[in-house]
Amino acid sequence: MSNPKKYTLITGASSGIGREISIKLSANCNLILHGRNLKRLEETKRMCNGNNHILWSCDLGSDLSISEELTHLITSNRILVSNFIHCAGIVTVMHARSITSITSNKIMNINFTSAMVITSTLLKKTINQQELKNVIFMSSIWSKFGARGYSLYCASKGALDSAMRALAIELAPVVRVNSVLLGAINTPMSEKSFLDAEIMQNINNQYPLGVGKTDDVACMVEFLLSSDSRWMTGQQIILDGGRSINMSSK
Amino acid sequence: MKEFYKKLSDILEIDNIEDSDTLRDFEYWDSLTVLSILAMLDSELLISLTVEELDECITAKDLYLMVEGKR
Repeated sequence: MSNPKKYTLITGASSGIGREISIKLSANCNLILHGRNLKRLEETKRMCNGNNHILWSCDLGSDLSISEELTHLITSNRILVSNFIHCAGIVTVMHARSITSITSNKIMNINFTSAMVITSTLLKKTINQQELKNVIFMSSIWSKFGARGYSLYCASKGALDSAMRALAIELAPVVRVNSVLLGAINTPMSEKSFLDAEIMQNINNQYPLGVGKTDDVACMVEFLLSSDSRWMTGQQIILDGGRSINMSSK
Repeated sequence: MKEFYKKLSDILEIDNIEDSDTLRDFEYWDSLTVLSILAMLDSELLISLTVEELDECITAKDLYLMVEGKR
């Protein structure tokens, strides 16, 4: 019987940053492409190299059986997962006075809790045979700073980064765990808001190196998965074109 | 229209909205309200509106018609 194939799981692979990372890694990795929309996942798969990639359609915001579904996917395909990259995430902008437990639970489920449940599943010996080596969470510079209307979003990314540090300690030296804290990245979703001249002007003033590209993120992920970063774990890696250290008034 | 006005009144924290209400006259109308409305349209109605487009709307009905035109 042949050895099980090794895979990299990417959540949020159906668009933007997750899709770009998938395309880049597909040259050298077998991928589990996760997303909500199967049609868009199939598009991502067509853009990837290689034919072994597996699609996993699941709503991380409401699905209570994430662990069961992932377990079934791993065992039925006779594969193991070496790397987990959590790109799935939503942004909620609302006044603090408008926050409800429903909106809070939804953003926490997608941005944070699902990442914990997936990590937990991949750590179970009976399911993944201690194969997990690398975990990367897509976080945001809003994890470290504040902005009006972003309390739930900031909290969800802050939770992700705090858990990342604790996991890095608990799982060393077998698994490395890091977060990438992103500034504004040009994606089909963000492009819509960049159409506003006022927002574009603000961004140009704030980002010394301009807005990031999805490929900038994919390059960082590739580095974190490689042995070149073998001594890095538990880090909040800021990738924001200099936005967070820019103290200029204009 | 009823559903849209309900979502709008939730954000603006008022009981009900009339067609002729001027958006900028609402007590809680500010830049964050604008972002909240755009985020609500995007996530709940899958409609993308820019700040500039929203700026063109004077009354609640203008905004409703703008949203309907995007469906």
